[in-house]
Amino acid sequence: MTSTINLEGKTLSSTITKLNAPLTQAFDSQLSSELPLAAAPTPTTCNIQAQRLADFNTLTDALEYAASGSTGFNFYDAKGNLRSVLPYRALRQNALISARRLAGLGLARGDRVALIADTTPEFVELFFACRYAGLVPFAMPVPVNLGSHVVYVQQLRGILEGSKASVALANVDYINFLREAAEGVQGLQWVGTPEELGNLPALDVTPQPNHPDEIAYLQFTSGSTRAPRGVIITERALMSNLQGIVRSGLEIRPGDRCASWLPFYHDMGLVGMVMAPMVAQVSVDYLATRDFAIRPLQWLKLISRNRSTVAFSQPFGLKLCTLRVRDSDLEDLDLSCWRAAGVGAEMIRPDTLRNFAEKFAPAGFDARAFLPCYGLAESTLAVTFSKVGEGFKSLQIDAGMLVDRKMAVRLQAEGRKYNEFVNCGRALPGHTVKVVDDAGQEVSDLKLGSVLVNGSSIMTGYFNNPEDTRKTLRPGHWLDTGDLGFLFEGDLYVTGRRIDVIIVNGRNIRAQDIEELAEQQPEVRTREASAFGITDANDATTIVLVIECRLTSVTDRQSLTSRLQRLVYMAFGVNCLVELVPPHTLPRTSSGKLSRFAARQGFIQRTNLTDHQLSVESGDK
Amino acid sequence: MTTDYNNILSRLCFHLKQLASPDVVIVPETDLINELAIDSVKLLSLVMEIEDEFDISVPLNVLADVQTVHDLANLIQHIKSTKQ
Repeated sequence: MTSTINLEGKTLSSTITKLNAPLTQAFDSQLSSELPLAAAPTPTTCNIQAQRLADFNTLTDALEYAASGSTGFNFYDAKGNLRSVLPYRALRQNALISARRLAGLGLARGDRVALIADTTPEFVELFFACRYAGLVPFAMPVPVNLGSHVVYVQQLRGILEGSKASVALANVDYINFLREAAEGVQGLQWVGTPEELGNLPALDVTPQPNHPDEIAYLQFTSGSTRAPRGVIITERALMSNLQGIVRSGLEIRPGDRCASWLPFYHDMGLVGMVMAPMVAQVSVDYLATRDFAIRPLQWLKLISRNRSTVAFSQPFGLKLCTLRVRDSDLEDLDLSCWRAAGVGAEMIRPDTLRNFAEKFAPAGFDARAFLPCYGLAESTLAVTFSKVGEGFKSLQIDAGMLVDRKMAVRLQAEGRKYNEFVNCGRALPGHTVKVVDDAGQEVSDLKLGSVLVNGSSIMTGYFNNPEDTRKTLRPGHWLDTGDLGFLFEGDLYVTGRRIDVIIVNGRNIRAQDIEELAEQQPEVRTREASAFGITDANDATTIVLVIECRLTSVTDRQSLTSRLQRLVYMAFGVNCLVELVPPHTLPRTSSGKLSRFAARQGFIQRTNLTDHQLSVESGDK
Repeated sequence: MTTDYNNILSRLCFHLKQLASPDVVIVPETDLINELAIDSVKLLSLVMEIEDEFDISVPLNVLADVQTVHDLANLIQHIKSTKQ
């Protein structure tokens, strides 16, 4: 069945559409009416092939099969117009052509290719072109913050160096940032736009098949300005995770269709909403992240209009929808088709889900569609899924017991302070989750500890970074997720990050990155800055940066404070509170390291924050 | 050109005032980050209002070079003029 599309009043019949045309996003062609509209998106159901659920050896094998059908990717603009259609058949063709051009650059198998990942057909084509050419692609972020030019270029340079990339590509919007970042980077042989690649000669070579043990891609974990870490995922790990996602997690079936605004440079966007649908021959409708963030209603409209059944979001995205969609918009929405509303990538607060369900119930949203899950790039993407079609379940846990005794005790009496944690479900087949104490010993049900994962989707390690690999992969290939939680009747409940990561508005920010930014200032010495998050009763997190400071003049102090706030903003897009304290105020461990937990306690005491103003940070150790 | 700019500036300031605390005086040199505390969430609302008010589309890549009210007004003028 082909979905009927209302292209907002535009007539379809005479529109001659150049399918797969690159999205022209250059500055001087913003006028949407001048851009070609695509006629119709790829269909939901493909009648000419049997659905195969990720039973392939490699990504390119999967694409070869998907290309025999009629489904594929569709790209929509900020106003909900269909801009580009990329059936899997065309994706394969275009990727093969680009692969021959990449082959002309004379690279070795396994060389890295950096791609700035805007939500465009070209990104996806280049990603698969790399795999056809035996190269290892990875996605780099787009800039999102005001005044972030310098910091963004620095971030790109860090990733280019860390990955030892040989080739880097960006579309016209971002190529200048990329060229600036690429200057002087060793080993980088070619930098350009997809159009420039298109002008290169194509070598007449037949792509060599990939092996399951080869690296499929690198995933750079977000947020960090220095020493970015590239997660190595093999074809085997990838396919194992994709199989878990589409079979056990989502129970993909004929008639499924996805809609996504998730950025292609995040694991949930790339693995979850590009590769997973492709290996199951499912069509996807994309909205650029920026367009979703500004007008979240467009995503819901896409789901409603194209009758999507599967769409994922981080909780923050659901919050944006709840906040920003007007009640008058609800009349035009019919979300009853949405059977799997995946939620993940950050701590899930039950109220976020309840508020969303309440707001969109009149538009046919069924709360049973909520599908909480848990995962991380180091395990390809997914680790646990709750049961599809059953909605979210949660436990109310006595807050005091959790902090004092690291025990999850279910709330017995009314009136006691509690935390409510969402059930993230159980591990995918071939995976095991365990919770351990500080000594690494497995703890019993309902005992709080570090969450460890073992299984077929775990990364090989961080690229060119044995030190971080050693810290993260424990003996027996157990992945230390950095999250805290407990198990109950086989299901995982995540209670928070260990304190080295601060989550603000859905973004993971490493405390260390903020401290390093501060330490780059001439007035700040190493180990004299401590960053942590404070979450208030309304669930809003503020970053606090405490600096030991010798400056005495008010002007100098003010100058340092506002410079730090500005730098943190430019790097992470969030405001922060800077507190200057006398030297030796920050608590240190016996080895001289700063303790962020103790620094946070000290800050709370100095500022007289009461329990009422704080939400219980059960994640703290 | 100048009237155009001044017109854009005053309309822009109207929107910025809704986001800022009441005692802040907004001038072209005002720093959006330090003085108006436009964080990433406020930025989204601001971009939406600008797009609706001026009937333009603001690409993300250009915001990386915007720091002051003047920069933003200039950008809006530039997008508007290239559109015509």
